Amino acid sequence: MEKKLTYTQAMTQLQEIVEQLEDNSLDIDQLTEKVKYAQELIKFCRDRLYKTDEEIQKLLKLDE
Amino acid sequence: MPQALTLYELNKEVRSVLQSTLRDSYWVQAELAEVNVNRSGHCYVEFVQKAKKGNTFVAKARGNIWANVYAFLAPYFEQQTSQRFAAGLSVLVEVEVTFHEVYGYSLNVIDIDPTYTLGDMARRRKEILDQLEADGILNDNKELSMPELPQRIAVISAPTAAGYGDFCNQLRTNPAGYVFYTKLFPAVMQGSQTEESVIQALDAIAQDVELFDVVVIIRGGGATADLASFDTYPLAASVAQYPLPVITGIGHERDDTVLDLVAHTRVKTPTAAAEYLINRVEESASLLEDLSQALVTSVQQRIQEEKMRLQQLTAALPAAYTRHQAGEERVLNRLSHRMALAVSEGVARRKHALQLWEQKIALRVPVKLQQENVKLEMLAQRIHDNSPERILARGYSITLKDGKAVRNVQELHSGDKIITRLSEGQVESKVL
Repeated sequence: MEKKLTYTQAMTQLQEIVEQLEDNSLDIDQLTEKVKYAQELIKFCRDRLYKTDEEIQKLLKLDE
Repeated sequence: MPQALTLYELNKEVRSVLQSTLRDSYWVQAELAEVNVNRSGHCYVEFVQKAKKGNTFVAKARGNIWANVYAFLAPYFEQQTSQRFAAGLSVLVEVEVTFHEVYGYSLNVIDIDPTYTLGDMARRRKEILDQLEADGILNDNKELSMPELPQRIAVISAPTAAGYGDFCNQLRTNPAGYVFYTKLFPAVMQGSQTEESVIQALDAIAQDVELFDVVVIIRGGGATADLASFDTYPLAASVAQYPLPVITGIGHERDDTVLDLVAHTRVKTPTAAAEYLINRVEESASLLEDLSQALVTSVQQRIQEEKMRLQQLTAALPAAYTRHQAGEERVLNRLSHRMALAVSEGVARRKHALQLWEQKIALRVPVKLQQENVKLEMLAQRIHDNSPERILARGYSITLKDGKAVRNVQELHSGDKIITRLSEGQVESKVL
């Protein structure tokens, strides 16, 4: 997965994969690879939602 | 020396002229330049009237609102206008004109018409909005898209405001545990310094604009609203043109301020602002969960479909084979049937032929038998005619040696015993 993916990009990619799955346009041989990638995207998005990013905290100089 | 009056006498004269010529009270439009309430609850104001252009005064008067009046007048005004009775407002008041020998000219306020102030505020707001519209910036902030995850929040608030605490607390304790980053940009949120202070805070955020997703301007927990402070063109223009979406939660229930109207999103309270942000993240999170569920479902479905296809193919194989076999069998059956038919037909034909022959034979046998009988009889006759007895009767004899007929003399040797058979009897002889 690309390093500098934005949340929106990740969601868009995820949506595309799900659509491909739903309209059966994915070859069965690609399935494993795509699903694995989709799971990475989901993890990436979940991290954005639920995990505190220390880099952002440092940048904002937030007082705890 | 002309007759002189004491100052008191003069002032008394002025007072009596005023009292005799002026009506008991007048309704007056004026702007409040100063408002001070002392410890005993009396309110001292300064009424002014500005020139149509510029800020010069064309009139000015002191005013008093005695405590017994102010005690009900101020709450009534504030309740009607959502506006603290404060400097900067235009008011319509009923006044008694007074003149005091010591304190001079002043106006005693006895009543106020809040609708005038409301109308004036609305007119000012409309003027600001018209100007923003003319400048083409009125909807600029609304047209920005709210980020899917407004997690990095620049907060403009008074640092000690209860509303600020509520806002941060609400975000921190969101039940789903979404992460939010807030940074406070302190500002004065009430009174004449509001405009400048909020603009300064906005400028400070703009320095690090890429660090933030959204700006929240909040106020709350304070006493009475002071909406006029937010109804200024410079502040409205700053917010309208701001590069980040601005959310306002400045704690009032009634009319929207210009700031609310130009902001991307307006909510009533700081808590509501936090709710809005949490909901926004929630939407995104639930979309994510939907997608991740859809992923699982569609993968399972896909696998199920492939399984079914495989099963169908597997199932179709024997069927196809059976079909093929059935076809072969039919051919075989037909062949064997044909064969059986052919055989039975052949047999029948032959049988028929046989029967014909049988009939023919049956017909012919007696004839043939008779013929044969005749032949036999003829043969018997011939045999009879040629029988040895007949020959012997005709005078021939047969010589036998050892029971066999002798046809050659060479067969006989001297001393052999021979028998000669005659027609009647036989003779035994010895060869010499």
